[in-house]
Amino acid sequence: MNDRIYMDNCVTSAMAPEVLEAMKPYFGEEFWYPGSFVSTGEASSAAFEGFREVIADALNAAPQEITFTSGGTIANNIALKGLALAHSGEGRHIICSTVDYPDLLTHAAYFEKMGFEVTYLEPDELGFVSAQKLKDAIRDDTILFMSTMVNHVVGTIQPIGEYSQVLAAANHKIWFHVDAGQAFGKLHLDVKALGMDTLSVSAHKIHGPQGIGALYVKKGSRLGAYIHGIKRFEGVQPGGLSLAAMAGFAKAVEIVYKDLDGSIKQLRELSDYLLEQLESQIEYVELNGPRGEGRACHNINVSLDFIEGEAITIMLDMHKITVATGSACASQGLKPSYVLLAMGKNQVQAHGSMKFTLSRYNTKEQIDFTVAKLKEIAAILRERSPLYNAIKKKQEK
Amino acid sequence: MQYSEKVLQHFMHPQNVGEMENPDATATEGSPACGDQVTMYLKVDKENLIIEDVSFLSYGCASNIATASIITEMAKGKSLEEAKKITWRDAMEALDGLPPVKAHCSVLAADTLQTAISNYEIAHGLKEVPDFSKETIIGELKKIIYPQVGEDIITLKMVKYVGFEEKTGEVLIDLNLMSFDQYRDNVAEEIREHLQKYPEVKDIKINFPS
Repeated sequence: MNDRIYMDNCVTSAMAPEVLEAMKPYFGEEFWYPGSFVSTGEASSAAFEGFREVIADALNAAPQEITFTSGGTIANNIALKGLALAHSGEGRHIICSTVDYPDLLTHAAYFEKMGFEVTYLEPDELGFVSAQKLKDAIRDDTILFMSTMVNHVVGTIQPIGEYSQVLAAANHKIWFHVDAGQAFGKLHLDVKALGMDTLSVSAHKIHGPQGIGALYVKKGSRLGAYIHGIKRFEGVQPGGLSLAAMAGFAKAVEIVYKDLDGSIKQLRELSDYLLEQLESQIEYVELNGPRGEGRACHNINVSLDFIEGEAITIMLDMHKITVATGSACASQGLKPSYVLLAMGKNQVQAHGSMKFTLSRYNTKEQIDFTVAKLKEIAAILRERSPLYNAIKKKQEK
Repeated sequence: MQYSEKVLQHFMHPQNVGEMENPDATATEGSPACGDQVTMYLKVDKENLIIEDVSFLSYGCASNIATASIITEMAKGKSLEEAKKITWRDAMEALDGLPPVKAHCSVLAADTLQTAISNYEIAHGLKEVPDFSKETIIGELKKIIYPQVGEDIITLKMVKYVGFEEKTGEVLIDLNLMSFDQYRDNVAEEIREHLQKYPEVKDIKINFPS
């Protein structure tokens, strides 16, 4: 690890050294593809089966229910377009929420263009989308519900199991897709118990390699084919996918799942400590999203009043600290975080929001340093801020 | 594109920051809702009409703060007439450029300086309060930057028509931005923000190609 403090792990995370080691053989001597009935193909078939089993075991799925894809977004594409294609004859209504991951929301917009009707469920002020709201939105022609298990901005954990119960109680089949990009490795994720039809995960958010993900498809689900091309072996999206990446993904999962409770506990302790320090050290800090168990163990999102997030991140970057902000000024589209706005936060809260997503490589010492620097930065920027000066004057009076 | 050394220098160590005691003129542009707001303070030598001192406060991003810093540096010691010629383009050039998507952040600081000068002139009887007209609207539209290229929408010929109905206070603008343009909503929102501050404007209609 270099000397940078990296707290933007929900975007991508550092690859574990053990993961790189696990990948190396498949870049070198064992470069073959599975399939053919000769020793080269047999050896890599066996390796592939092993990797797939690791992912399946972690999710409590059968290996045949797991497909490797070239990332979480491609997994979402295969599932969502596949389900909508296969079942568009049964209805034209789809449900999601306004705080879903962009992968799902861009699909919702695409489906609308294709003539589907989409209902967007609203979250409460903590980012929760209740199962009751889903129940109220269901129509006779609803064919699909998609949900983001852990919110990518505020870490809110959605009631996936309750959704499944609501969907099961409907008078017809409604397909259920879950994006678990931020959830995988951060909580217990049992696809059998939770009951969704399809679910996407990604390797590089849990210290695996970039460019590989997986899709769980419950046995018996019917998906239309969205990607066409040569199918080299079952359980992989068409085309050539890197066996090295699969090896790395499996290793990353193995490391986390060796002691899942332990890694959740470690992240939870770090996050709790970070929040405690932020709230006790810095004035005018407000937590966005739920406190405690309703929130994924790696996410802390706060708004710093009177100052703008892009300026904060640039200053933190000078101290070799990487964090994210929901400010419009930091986004290419120049829009503040739609998640925070949907939760009822105002523009200043969205522009001043800071998102910390931690990993097992973060330490308490890093948190101390980061909070100390952030405290300095907040003071400097508030001195320059007309909003802060106005408040101070009011208080003096 | 990243920030230049000059931008970072002015952002980390801005010049002329802080509220001024007994200024001769002030101006505030932007709003917390848009994510940036700048206040500027002027002290003017009444004999020679020279800007003796200028300072600012900024709620905004790095480019906003850096531009406010450099533009106050550029204005200090200049006559009002000279200072009136300083544009956001000059400030941006002095900063060794800004990423195109951030060009609009530099406009606000430049704007605030010009408004402060204008406020001084009006308060000291050096000019009349200008009548609101179509020209005022076009002047405002020249301050609206299309983020992808970092140029204003008038220069880019994105404005096809500007109308102002004096009796009703209705502004009518035809914009040549297609529905799939990712910045269309941003541009429309900025137009509204720029025009809403005029009491003469009662209604703003923005049309796009269908």
